[in-house]
Amino acid sequence: MGQIEWAMWANEQALASGLILVTGGIVATAGQFTSWWFGAYSIVAGVFICLLEYPRGKRRKGSTMERCGQKYLTKVVKVLGPLSRNYYIRAVLHLGLSVPAGFLLATILGTACLAIASSIYLLAAFHGEQWTPIEPKPKERPQVGGTIKQPPSNPPPRPPAEARKKSGEEEAAASAGVSGGPQENPVPVVDEVV
Amino acid sequence: MLGLGLCLSRASASVLNLNCSLILLPMCRTLLAYLRGSQKVPSRRTRRLLDKSRTFHITCGVTICIFSGVHVAAHLVNALNFSVNYSEDFVELNAARYRDESIFFPFSQDPRKLLFTTVPGLTGVCMVLVLFLMITASTYAIRVSNYDIFWYTHNLFFVFYMLLMLHVSGGLLKYQTNLDTHPPGCINLNGTHYQNIHLQDYLSEHFRESFPEGFEKPDELTQKRFVKICMEEPRFQANFPQTWLWISGPLCLYCAERLYRCIRSNKPVTIISVIRHPSDVMEIRMVKENFKARPGQYIILHCPSVSALENHPFTLTMCPTKTKATFGVHLKIVGDWTERFRDLLLPPSSQDSEILPFIQSRNYPKLYIDGPFGSPFEESLNYEVSLCVAGGIGVTPFASILNTLLDDWEPYKLRRLYFIWVCRDIQSFRWFADLLCVLHNKFWQENRPDYVNIQLYLSQTDGIQKIIGEKYQALNSRLFIGRPRWKLLFDEIAKCNRGKTVGVFCCGPSSISKTLHKLSNRNNSYGTRFEYNKESFS
Repeated sequence: MGQIEWAMWANEQALASGLILVTGGIVATAGQFTSWWFGAYSIVAGVFICLLEYPRGKRRKGSTMERCGQKYLTKVVKVLGPLSRNYYIRAVLHLGLSVPAGFLLATILGTACLAIASSIYLLAAFHGEQWTPIEPKPKERPQVGGTIKQPPSNPPPRPPAEARKKSGEEEAAASAGVSGGPQENPVPVVDEVV
Repeated sequence: MLGLGLCLSRASASVLNLNCSLILLPMCRTLLAYLRGSQKVPSRRTRRLLDKSRTFHITCGVTICIFSGVHVAAHLVNALNFSVNYSEDFVELNAARYRDESIFFPFSQDPRKLLFTTVPGLTGVCMVLVLFLMITASTYAIRVSNYDIFWYTHNLFFVFYMLLMLHVSGGLLKYQTNLDTHPPGCINLNGTHYQNIHLQDYLSEHFRESFPEGFEKPDELTQKRFVKICMEEPRFQANFPQTWLWISGPLCLYCAERLYRCIRSNKPVTIISVIRHPSDVMEIRMVKENFKARPGQYIILHCPSVSALENHPFTLTMCPTKTKATFGVHLKIVGDWTERFRDLLLPPSSQDSEILPFIQSRNYPKLYIDGPFGSPFEESLNYEVSLCVAGGIGVTPFASILNTLLDDWEPYKLRRLYFIWVCRDIQSFRWFADLLCVLHNKFWQENRPDYVNIQLYLSQTDGIQKIIGEKYQALNSRLFIGRPRWKLLFDEIAKCNRGKTVGVFCCGPSSISKTLHKLSNRNNSYGTRFEYNKESFS
């Protein structure tokens, strides 16, 4: 139980409440209910909440599934800085946004759902969670030739690296076929001319 | 009085009735396991339907969601109309207490009063909130990352059903009980509205349009069918809540099943041995009285010393047979529950020895199991030719099949098994290397070398170790480096088994599963049919 990340659930709830607010607001404004201006307010509030909550925050452990196309909104939300990082602020913000929509029957459901989301955010903030944006990983360009410091000095056939190192350490060239100079053969090479 | 709102809300309520009753049925897993294994379901097609039970459950859930939205919207409109169209003629039908109870006063509380002071209104609001909690916690992202939230909120379904039972008992919808003495459209002679109007004038005024051609005498109308005089006042009575009939059956069935599972899992198992395997895998062998399982089934482990509330499913890798009552599971250590479980069973002090001495069995924690539950992999023994593809730890259902074949292969329909196992780490193959070698030898001894065709693939290699072990020569020669080439494999199997139906089973990453599904559905020129059996995990 101790490892649950509540913020992810609160995020889903807030996104769903935003959509419910928008729907209720459209019904109220289009039906021209009395005090339909609350409906107009709830459409605006709903859209704002959807945009704020769309980018999913990064999980503490493991990989996070991004929502489709969320990287553009991540940049915008990141700009807000501590306002978007801190979940206490988000909880208070959602609670505040939900109150005016409670006055109209069509949007009262959005109020209830957003209030629940706000309380889960409070729980998440209490557990010390924070919103961290999901950064795209910088593409590691494959380092071609990074381990090759110098081109090989001997033409093929070349013995493996260990044998080359060993022959470099020996000071005297023991084999008879060694001519000295750039090429040092560990094994005597005899030209067979027929 | 209510108009379209009533039609929409009643229609969506009917859909909700059906879905709320059907959604419980796929979750009766013991019943489904029984159906799968019994002789009463002879056809393979019907058994394959049982594989889709989780998808069916999710579909019903989504439908409940959508139609609840429609139902709520329609009822909000109804709440409005109940007061706007308050009827003085039929006082009993009204839910509002007086005309204009609702929204003519912008800041009044009255619309909410209608919602919150009636039993259906209040229970309806609570149900919507419970549904909201359950739905937001059931999305794929939450299930994959925080399964606990999903599990705990989903158990609120019981609260939902209790509220549903109360919701329909409010008695808002009424029907007329005395239709014969007060038929619709009849005229009330004693009513205040018509007191001073002579009957004939009234009839001639209101029924002029409905006079058929050539009719002259209004007096005769009083004896005709389409005008009647009311004998008495209309009486209304609330409808019997149909929902109780719909949901009581499945709810009782589900409760009975949970009770049965609770009783059955009450007795702890006796752990015989705990074996550590390479690549973070632990094998537990245990016995339990009266435990029977078929190969391919899975059980749910519950260990109160590790966590009081969490249960985790694991596939059986060895099933109890007639001669041997031991059964076992292989667990991969990922996540906190398995780590704590491993620390309890294999204390860190003895991590260098592979098998704990028997004397330590007294210190094992109590372990309860629930199950066994069915899975599509049971079907692999019922095909004449089967292709089983395993990725990593996904080999566990097939391990139980191989153990069963080792015991006795003749009673089953299976005559050829293609076993493909893809792993990232070469040490992983040691989990079942012994089993595979023994099985291979057995079939060679019995002169059926083509019964089991093993191919092992090492998908990632650092080039250092190329063999599994010196004593596993049969496996070393069947080890390939790199990923399998599925198209070639399917072509080869199709060519060697012309005209037969091959069952394809996959337990591994979803990318492999998708590829296999696509290849199975393609036609090939040899007339071989591939049937893909899909297992759905979270």
